[in-house]
Amino acid sequence: MTAAVPALVVRGISKQFGSHRAVEDVSFTVPRGCVYGILGPNGAGKSTTLRMINDIIAPDAGAIEIMDGIPPGPRAAAQIGYLPEERGLYPKERVLEMIALMGELRGLSRAEARRRAGAWLERLGLEQWAKNRVGELSKGMQQKVQFATALIHEPALVILDEPWSGLDPINAEVLREVVDEIRASGRTVLFSTHQMEQAEKVCDAVCIIARGKKVLDGRLLELKRSWGADGRIALGFGDEAARARAEAVLADAALVADRLPARAGDVADCEVTLAAGVAPQQLLAGLVAAEVWLRRFEVVVPTLHQIFVERVGDSAAVAERRPEGEPGKDQGKEAAS
Amino acid sequence: MKDLRDTLIIARRELLERVMSKWFAVMTLIGPIGMIAMIVIPAAIARSSTEGTKVEILDPGGALTEPLLAGLGAERWRVTVAAPGATDATEEEKIRRGAINGYLSIAPDALAGGPIVYRGDNASSQAVTGVLRTRVAKAVLDRRMAQANLTPEQLAILGKEVRFSTEHTTGEKAATSGAGAFLVAYFLGFILYMVITVYGIGVMRSVVQEKSSRVMELMVAVVKPRSLMAGKILGVGAAGLLQIGVWLGIGAILLEYRDQVLGAFGISGGGKALPPLAPSEIAVILAFFVGGYFFYSAMYAALGAMVSSEQETQQVQLPVTMLLVIGLLCQQMVSNDPRGSTAALMTMLPCWSPILMPMRYVLGGATLGDAALSLAILTVSTAIVVRAAAKIYRVGVLLYGKRPTARELIRWLRY
Repeated sequence: MTAAVPALVVRGISKQFGSHRAVEDVSFTVPRGCVYGILGPNGAGKSTTLRMINDIIAPDAGAIEIMDGIPPGPRAAAQIGYLPEERGLYPKERVLEMIALMGELRGLSRAEARRRAGAWLERLGLEQWAKNRVGELSKGMQQKVQFATALIHEPALVILDEPWSGLDPINAEVLREVVDEIRASGRTVLFSTHQMEQAEKVCDAVCIIARGKKVLDGRLLELKRSWGADGRIALGFGDEAARARAEAVLADAALVADRLPARAGDVADCEVTLAAGVAPQQLLAGLVAAEVWLRRFEVVVPTLHQIFVERVGDSAAVAERRPEGEPGKDQGKEAAS
Repeated sequence: MKDLRDTLIIARRELLERVMSKWFAVMTLIGPIGMIAMIVIPAAIARSSTEGTKVEILDPGGALTEPLLAGLGAERWRVTVAAPGATDATEEEKIRRGAINGYLSIAPDALAGGPIVYRGDNASSQAVTGVLRTRVAKAVLDRRMAQANLTPEQLAILGKEVRFSTEHTTGEKAATSGAGAFLVAYFLGFILYMVITVYGIGVMRSVVQEKSSRVMELMVAVVKPRSLMAGKILGVGAAGLLQIGVWLGIGAILLEYRDQVLGAFGISGGGKALPPLAPSEIAVILAFFVGGYFFYSAMYAALGAMVSSEQETQQVQLPVTMLLVIGLLCQQMVSNDPRGSTAALMTMLPCWSPILMPMRYVLGGATLGDAALSLAILTVSTAIVVRAAAKIYRVGVLLYGKRPTARELIRWLRY
């Protein structure tokens, strides 16, 4: 999946607004053909990062290389499809013309832009609305039109800023399908979100940022594997007698380093962390030898949310307040997740 | 190349969005109706306003009664002679009752310089006063000449009309009717003012709309703000010019067939239409009209880029409106002394040249070279304003709900 030249390289970019450091020395690399998520709480600096990649604002420091080493600007823009967080459309424009307009501005001929706009409307089930004005469409339909405006020129790099915010479940599914299609066609998707569940479903790799700084990045599978390699096991017991028999085994410090209460809503009775160098089989063998009736024995693969909370901390996962009048998001509008 | 293409794409979108709207069609059609009204109503007023005016003549001396009865009767007024013994009080009573509009009070020694006063409910009417002034003066003069025992031949010579008129010339071109050329330039200045305030605000709205509909971040990522601004000014501007073009075309046809239009409303005779203009004069007028229009549109675009909501546009447009009004006020100054240094300076400044240069040129105060230089300054200034608007817009993208301070604005312009 990973080609030699990455789709995007971000090297040590920083951006300061007044006294507020929005982004601080953030670096990451997006391989070609993958779906890459920039994750973080609201106000972490995700949108600022994406704006710098799209040449809407210039970084104070650092470098950005797009596709074959192109710096942000008109040449790079031709290869990018961008769906900003603040996404509006011209309310009086006809739906088909709106999509075609963006295609034309991305370099397509008028005829080709209109043809593709028609194809996109069909693909999104909006063909009967082609001649209506954008303002007459429901919010959900407008969101679909917005996807089309970002994708009509088949960009090599698709950048979506909080694409799921405000989407109903059906449109969220449509968007996931679209993202899968782009990946299947060998193109690259970079998106930001604070919704870990969505990211987990579509991402190949992630970069987690909080308070403007990178916390960790890498391929999702590897992140999970390395987190799982810490040796966390979820246990479920058949009855109280089994639980009592297990106590003796779990109390063995040579096997178990730490015991954690079960997470709320989980069917496991408890979670344990294995002692250093202990393989899960050794614990399993110990429990079997003690004739513990096991209902569940599972090497825990963490969810993205767990990794996030663990690494960032609960406090940072809460939206950070932005200083008054700071360039950035629209006041008062933050989509519910 | 891409920039120019983007500009034209944006301009096409803005133009089509406007031209395809119902309001555009409605307004384009309402314009000519207004123009017909502008031709017919003044003519109708001029024709009919003094007809049937009811006047009494209170002339104790009796010297002027006969000629005034004849003279005012020729104007189709209903003239009567006040009953013997009538006084100011009895006449005023008649005015109160509405029996008459007014009365002429003629002093017994009127022929020797005594006062002649008209009192009436229509004494404020220019038309009524004008008719009275002419007819009374003629009656007095006729009587005085008759008293001098002149022969009819002598009377005819003395009574001949004095034909005085003015012609404007700077010695370079054939003299023209100064009043006609002045009026054309004067009215075009007013039309430009109206067109700028109506359509320039359209450009400002269009820029503000980018923010209120939140489409701007999408656009900024795709096109350069300069292309976006230039496209908007061109597109919205073209919609305005198209509408004005339709109106001017219909207006020209209406003026050409003015008599027929008036005839259709039962009014005959119309007087002169437009004074003739040389092709170079028409070219200068049109060039400055279009140039001024786009210059001010760019100014409004810059204003639109500074504000974040429609409500705020009301306040920020005042300075631009003031600039225009100053230009209008200076028209008189240019017409008084078209070759003066103040006129020369003001017709070079881009904020006033669109209104003042056509007038100065038509009045012979400027050569074609002066006009070309002024037009070049105007064009370059427009480009600079578009650039500034684009910069303000570009940085303003990231600011919602907050108007920039002067310091921020200056910083943005250097961004």
